[in-house]
Amino acid sequence: MQIKNRVYITTSSSVSCAGKNNQILFKNILSGCTGIKQDKEYFLNASPALGKLDVEDTFFNVLLSECQNILDKSQLDNYEETLLVIGSSVGGMQSTEDIYMQTRNYADIDPNMHHIQVISKYLNNTFKFYDDVSFSTACTSSANAIGYAYEVLSKGLYKNVLVVGADSLSQTTVGGFLALGVLSSAPCKPFDENRDGMNVSEAIACLLLETEKKDGSIEVCGVGYSSDAYHMTHPKPKGEGAFLAMKKALEVAKLKSNDIDYINAHGTGTEANDSAEAAAIVSLFPHKPFVSSTKSITGHTLGAAGALEAIISSLVIEQQVLPSNPFLENPSNPDIHLLDKVCKTEIQYVMSNSFAFGGNNCSLIFGRLT
Amino acid sequence: MKSIRLEIIQSAYAFGQKEIEELHTKTLVPKMMTRRRLTRAAKIAIYLSNEVSFTGGRIVYGSSFGELEATANILNSITNKEAISPTYFQNSVYNTAISYLSILQENEEELLTISSGDKTSDNVLKVGAVKSLDGDTLLLLVTETLNIEDIEKVNTCEVYLECAVALKVRQTDKEPTIQLSKSVGDSKVAPSMRTMLNIAKQCKVDKVNVIEISL
Repeated sequence: MQIKNRVYITTSSSVSCAGKNNQILFKNILSGCTGIKQDKEYFLNASPALGKLDVEDTFFNVLLSECQNILDKSQLDNYEETLLVIGSSVGGMQSTEDIYMQTRNYADIDPNMHHIQVISKYLNNTFKFYDDVSFSTACTSSANAIGYAYEVLSKGLYKNVLVVGADSLSQTTVGGFLALGVLSSAPCKPFDENRDGMNVSEAIACLLLETEKKDGSIEVCGVGYSSDAYHMTHPKPKGEGAFLAMKKALEVAKLKSNDIDYINAHGTGTEANDSAEAAAIVSLFPHKPFVSSTKSITGHTLGAAGALEAIISSLVIEQQVLPSNPFLENPSNPDIHLLDKVCKTEIQYVMSNSFAFGGNNCSLIFGRLT
Repeated sequence: MKSIRLEIIQSAYAFGQKEIEELHTKTLVPKMMTRRRLTRAAKIAIYLSNEVSFTGGRIVYGSSFGELEATANILNSITNKEAISPTYFQNSVYNTAISYLSILQENEEELLTISSGDKTSDNVLKVGAVKSLDGDTLLLLVTETLNIEDIEKVNTCEVYLECAVALKVRQTDKEPTIQLSKSVGDSKVAPSMRTMLNIAKQCKVDKVNVIEISL
């Protein structure tokens, strides 16, 4: 990968079930205060624990507010020289569902409001962007968006990039994961021997990436991508795909494995995912860096997860404090250093993992400015 | 404005009013259990990948509407209060087609899926051009598979419900030989397909085919 410029996260903003801004989100993560609650709204015969946004406005109006918030906090006058990169797995699925459930007919569905591009369409109606592109690789969508932003900025191809990870809950996603039998009815317990599944969740997470550092900037040091080439929903049991993505991220960042202080794991709380990721971490990181998953607090925000966890990773670096695994009781793999309490320590580099259906893997590395 | 030139090493395209015929899936995917799980887009991706002799490497894939049939089946199950099929759900994500392709080819490289509405093939070209600066050969692939029951209630424009284009590309400094446009002649396919279809149609066998992509 050609690298001409260093790349920085200069501003970020988020809203999730765990907090309506970054500060509340991180406070709740550190105090173990989960945003996950049992819910019967979607299916009467099941009550999975989900992470719903507690907002009084529509999802798309909240999205506009988040992007305005970034603009207000940045040193940009507008987004006219900004590349917009969206990461989403469902796009406008919720509105399609609402219409179809009422009419049982496609006639009233606007195709332009259904697909992933609807997010970009909304934003372009309010802000004028230089250009936009939308990625949809299921649960790695916004991690891949950050990776692409890193690539184009480090190659000197655009001036700045706004990454938006956004996914709302829908019956399709809740019902789909129920059908797979992987939803827990309580906040998830990633890496626990008795883990019983994940929590589907919704969120909007936005990050402005630039090549000039500002006060409080966090560096994006590298990205690694891989594909499992194994199964549509199951990772390779020994985590070979995850291993490859993490290894490539280290190579791009020109770092050694023992440079990584903390891994914000994908850690969904499912049997297959956690054991594969743990095996990959054991193989690549013999020095046992600290590991935790913040999904028991935020839930798995699907296409928004990479962006939300990039914000969490940057807050870890900014505040030099590591989140624990608050619901962990019996670690299933003793060979990884799972945090059982919040830990204040010196943190230089953080890795954030995102894995998805189809064996799509993306690992990102963030660093403290030196 | 920055621009990047791509040499098109091989190209292929296919379209059909309802379905693209003769995808040779039985030959290309001999295992019946695997073949049965494939979506239409996956079968088309496998077919076109074979047509351009792509056996592995990075793929930039695009589709405006993704896996419409799986999505519609889930929607019908929910509306009819029936159980959702796990296979439909796993096959409903936008990156399904190239995931199956990667499984068949044991391809562990980066797979990226773009869904940018009418601009999908333009953005596949742009993202592919950016990635090509790393020096490898990439597969750029777009598909639309709109042939679902009652599609006529929402589709009033597209004559060809299935369309797909594959371009095997690498970065070059050679002079462009192909002009980028969305020609009127391609208006019977989904707008998301038109730019890449137009390019594929202009490619000449045994000639150097080069396009310039403006970012």
